[in-house]
Amino acid sequence: MKRTVTTIAAALAAAATLALPATAQDNGMAGKKVIFVPITMGISLTEAWARRMREHAEVGGYSFEVRDAAFNTSIMSELLAKAIADKPDLLVVHNPTVQLLARQIRQAEAEGIPVLQINLQSNQASTGFVGASWERIGREIAEDIVKECGAGTGKSGKVAVVPGQLTAADSVIMNEAAFKVFEQGGIEVVSNQASDWEPEKARQITATVLQQHPDLCAIFGHWDVHTMGAGNAVRDAGKADDVLVYATGGGDSVTCKAIEDGVLDRVWSYDADGQGRDAGTLIDLMLQGARNPDGMMIAESPLKVIKAGDGYDANLCFKM
Amino acid sequence: MAGPDRHGSGAVSEQRLSLAPWKDRRNLLALVVSMVTLALILVFSATVQGFATRGNLSVILSNSASLAILSCGMAVVIISRGLDLSIIAVMVAGATTYATCIEAGMGGGAALVVTGLAIVAVGMINAWLIAYAELPAMLATLASAMAITGLFRFAILRGEFLLLLPKENPAVQALTSDLLPGLPVVTVMMLAALAATWVLLNRTVAGEIIYAMGDNFLAARLSGLPVRSVTMLIYVWAAVMALAAGLVVSSASGAVDFRTVTNGTLLFDVILVVVLGGIPLRGGRGGLANIVLGVALIAVLRNGMTLMNVTTQIQDVIKGLVLLAAIAAENFLNPRDIETDTAGDL
Repeated sequence: MKRTVTTIAAALAAAATLALPATAQDNGMAGKKVIFVPITMGISLTEAWARRMREHAEVGGYSFEVRDAAFNTSIMSELLAKAIADKPDLLVVHNPTVQLLARQIRQAEAEGIPVLQINLQSNQASTGFVGASWERIGREIAEDIVKECGAGTGKSGKVAVVPGQLTAADSVIMNEAAFKVFEQGGIEVVSNQASDWEPEKARQITATVLQQHPDLCAIFGHWDVHTMGAGNAVRDAGKADDVLVYATGGGDSVTCKAIEDGVLDRVWSYDADGQGRDAGTLIDLMLQGARNPDGMMIAESPLKVIKAGDGYDANLCFKM
Repeated sequence: MAGPDRHGSGAVSEQRLSLAPWKDRRNLLALVVSMVTLALILVFSATVQGFATRGNLSVILSNSASLAILSCGMAVVIISRGLDLSIIAVMVAGATTYATCIEAGMGGGAALVVTGLAIVAVGMINAWLIAYAELPAMLATLASAMAITGLFRFAILRGEFLLLLPKENPAVQALTSDLLPGLPVVTVMMLAALAATWVLLNRTVAGEIIYAMGDNFLAARLSGLPVRSVTMLIYVWAAVMALAAGLVVSSASGAVDFRTVTNGTLLFDVILVVVLGGIPLRGGRGGLANIVLGVALIAVLRNGMTLMNVTTQIQDVIKGLVLLAAIAAENFLNPRDIETDTAGDL
């Protein structure tokens, strides 16, 4: 009887293996485990990433779990510690600041768990990174601002920068790149105050700065969501035609709506939907053992520049 | 009635009506705060470009409107020796309900009625937990804040953190427009909240009972005062103020943002305003002048620091130090006596 049960179990296991798609059984990914620890779910950026990564997991036959930190950095550290203890085959980490998770990323890599950092980098290098080049975005936006507000344009050259958090990777890198361009282009940064990613704080800061500098030429918000608060302050002050509102973002349909409504003027989109697919591809490759012997595997996101006016194209935004 | 009798009802009434709370020795803190505010105004006017302008005064008023309205709710609760940690969650929940209603095609008036009823129900649940289930106010409102946040985020927003408000919708435009040239609706709402709070505290029987409850709750209850009914009024009052503040914030920024509850410092700012203004956490004292003083200091400090390009994190540090100094000064100026100690704390 015992032998019969064992035989049936073995036959079932063999049948299950045969039933798997060819890609899953051959590629060394099937049955593996990937854990994604985002800053938060419930925003289009991370939802778009998770959607595409989950699609890749289904095709590859590996599991994909999300551990939502819900914008709470201490919970995020705990979730990452728990994820490392669960010994997954790969971790995807979305860093809130350059320093917060550095030690844990080092620990995971030391324990043989490859870490894919997504969009926001840590000071700590890991196996892979997929995301925007913040240096490029900061530089390109700053160059555009110089073109619109700098010497020879007849404008004041005054710019207000509204980062999310001054220690977040995007803010650190974008500010560094942008400030170099501003310095050479004769731009005066009259305000550089973080909004904690909140639209209302961005609105209050902008309303105050606009009073002090009524000739403000541009606002450079580091994330489209909180920059919408700044854009609303500009609109409420009746200066929508005088002040250009720049932002960066994942480029979902809400961003295009904000441009149509005149709340934002120009958005450098890193296309979260495309990033999700890139992340999924990198995960597949890393699970199959791909590594860069000279450093991190990097997939830089192509950028889409969404501008109000004649060249506006709503198709540049994606829908969830 | 313990409150007015303790210091002499005439003296207390005079103190609350006079708008000059520092006439009483116990309100030296209010005097200190008003002097500091005045000094800050003078220093900022002399050193910060664009501070002493009419336009900036208008920005200070509109930026502090939500804080002042929330403080009206919190002050009444604290004067009664309570605490409402759910006030920011209720604020965001109110704005979410309103936004959801207008998104569903409701008119502004109907949306306001539906939202108002929902928020009054939330205030009544808070009050029931405190007055009838006799849970400590701090724990009851902390738990309800979590429940409200979770419920609204997952049942209504389906996990989202943000709800964007269409600013072109007449129901939103009504809140962002000017009632008269140079007089925005939000400023009128702030003034109305302050006036209503003054009336509640100074011109109603409920106001007298609120002070009595704050001064010595047990004595107020044993003397037959309807403390349970008044507790219902207090927490419904706080909820309605939270709703008004939620409408102000969301219509201005064009977004309802649940991170204000989970990550923001607004609750801290509201308590800071009340304590700085001179309303002790042990209750029984304070009034409109204290709220105005607290809001004025925080609004001026915040505006000046923003104009000076001080980072938000440093602003938080400075506000924390100011609160610590205020609490220490309050303890020094109003030392605990046998009566306040035996009556217990929050």
